[in-house]
Amino acid sequence: MSDENDILAYLEQGGKLTAPDNAPARYRAELLRMMASFVDSELAGAAGFADVINQGPGITERIAASRIVLEKFDHGERVLKIMGAFGANTTRYQTVHPWSARIARDDDLGTTRRDGDMRLNVLHYPINGWADAVAMNVLMGAASVIQLKELARCSYQPLAEAFQDILPREQRHLELGREGMQKLVSEGAASEVANSVDYWESRVAASFGGPASRRFEMLQKFGLRHQPNEALLEAWKANIEKTVSETFT
Amino acid sequence: MAKFYPLKVADIRRETRDSVVLTLQPSADATDEFEFVQGQYLTFRHKFDGEELRRSYSVCSGISDGTLRVGIKKVDGGWFSSFANDDLKVGDTLEAMTPMGNFHSSLKPDEARHYLGFAGGSGITPLVSIIKTVMDKEPKSTFTLVYGNRSANSIMFREELEDLKNSHMERLNVIHILETEADIDLFSGILTPDKCDDLFGRWVNVKGADLAFICGPEPMMLTIAAALKKHGMDEAAIKFELFASAQPGKAKKRAAPKGGSDAGGICKATIILDGVRREIEMKKHGQSVLDAAISDSLDAPFACKAGVCSTCRAKVIEGETEMEANYALEDYEVERGYVLTCQCYPLSDKIVIDYDQ
Ligand SMILES: Cc1cc2nc3c(=O)[nH]c(=O)nc-3n(C[C@H](O)[C@H](O)[C@H](O)COP(=O)(O)OP(=O)(O)OC[C@H]3O[C@@H](n4cnc5c(N)ncnc54)[C@H](O)[C@@H]3O)c2cc1C
Ligand code: FES
Repeated sequence: MSDENDILAYLEQGGKLTAPDNAPARYRAELLRMMASFVDSELAGAAGFADVINQGPGITERIAASRIVLEKFDHGERVLKIMGAFGANTTRYQTVHPWSARIARDDDLGTTRRDGDMRLNVLHYPINGWADAVAMNVLMGAASVIQLKELARCSYQPLAEAFQDILPREQRHLELGREGMQKLVSEGAASEVANSVDYWESRVAASFGGPASRRFEMLQKFGLRHQPNEALLEAWKANIEKTVSETFT
Repeated sequence: MAKFYPLKVADIRRETRDSVVLTLQPSADATDEFEFVQGQYLTFRHKFDGEELRRSYSVCSGISDGTLRVGIKKVDGGWFSSFANDDLKVGDTLEAMTPMGNFHSSLKPDEARHYLGFAGGSGITPLVSIIKTVMDKEPKSTFTLVYGNRSANSIMFREELEDLKNSHMERLNVIHILETEADIDLFSGILTPDKCDDLFGRWVNVKGADLAFICGPEPMMLTIAAALKKHGMDEAAIKFELFASAQPGKAKKRAAPKGGSDAGGICKATIILDGVRREIEMKKHGQSVLDAAISDSLDAPFACKAGVCSTCRAKVIEGETEMEANYALEDYEVERGYVLTCQCYPLSDKIVIDYDQ
């Protein structure tokens, strides 16, 4: 294993790994954790959104919601496949956690991780009706796009490529959300939407994680992360401010 | 879980003094499984003194050659590569998983694309596959290969490349770079940033290229990628394949457990994580090694906590443990001492667990 130090030095200089064989133990673990967090978030997100399809006011809205559900499952599956190359049991993984489980609407998880799967905390909260689903989708969609842009640069090439393919589709989910939000506001549901934006804003913000940690330093050395959480959070806040002001004027 | 298929060694061609090209024959019912995309690799397993090792080797045939071949260069003291070079015989059977890897771009038969390829030493294998396939399936595309070797007699696929060049004069250009023995300045030594500038200034048109493939040792990959970017190539147009292996060689035998079998049900566990050793005391029952480490505020890796994802994998260096469930590790990993720490409980009074291996 004398290659390992060479590989770590190569990563620090921006090198890319291309196969499971290349991955030193700690890199492997952090990469798997990152992938699990993405997969769990997609599966939990899709499962939660599936219930909303029937609440869509018309066929167009239901098609949009169905498409989001379908594609999120698909994105989860794509990344799970990459985990499989590292030995994860992909068949069992799909049913290991109850993806549609939610906590109560008023529970507050803050930033402490809940036991069970690795989904982002925000995906533990239940959606409450169509307008709420749309608002959640806009706020969370914007966060996903920012996170994906970051992860699409990661040093594990097969994963970076998967994220590059996923990114435009998640971007489209965000657009569908924005269109839905415009429509709701123009049809007189502005205050309902505003309440939901209020509810989700702090919860989505918490999903960016705390300020730079020792783990971040390690992930940065591995080339798995580039920008710190604070920077991503700032980008998201700016993005949301703009969307909100455009929607409610 | 990983599935292995038998592959019969139909031919062994000595390629250079220290490399061989194997032609492999899947069994009749598994030929479909071994259809590959240019640039993919096979992962083999083989037992050495009863211990299983796995190693990957890139396919070096074009997709319509009708054969499955790999080229293996002997690494000094290397287990699998020495075995393949010195001991393997025609008629033997190897075991491999189906082809994997993404070192390719989708073929566009109608387009005229310009490809660049950079290979160092045995890194030529997937490039041979890609070049053959592109020549065959994209009749309007061109390819420039820059191929570095230590010396002329260590060049793998020298003749095959020569033949390809002769059949596709207008479309394939091969530039050899030798560390020793070459008469023109540019074509000798190793590829430094300066040399790349020279090469890209005069011989290789980077601006007109659509895609670049790089396969070689780590420093070469970094140098070339940086030079390509400097000369205007988009990062997304550069594909890498890294041969470096972080896989363990043959395992050292695990130390035998020390101390009696029960000391009030308490185990002294030493956890090695990110180069730091930490000793913790844990109950033998009721708490997994992972949970014990986490409750001692160690940042040990995990995801599913259900024995499924293998994120929490670590190696038992000393002592005895047992796993409650294991859906992710394979037998050969377990034999080497790997455990899923989320499922792992101590049996002996002292254990040493290493997340860094
Ligand atoms: C995706 C992929 C594709 C690959 N394709 C090919 C291929 O087509 N042809 C090919 O010949 N190899 C290829 N390799 C490399 C191959 O898998 C093995 O790593 C290599 O043959 C050494 O294995 P071994 O068992 O002989 O050596 P080991 O017993 O693992 O190693 C013995 C010693 O040699 C050192 N060592 C290991 N690898 C190298 C190296 N590449 N250069 C210098 N020292 C080394 C180790 O650090 C160790 O000290 C590929 C690797 C990957 C990950
Ligand atoms: S955390 Fe997934 S197997 Fe242990």
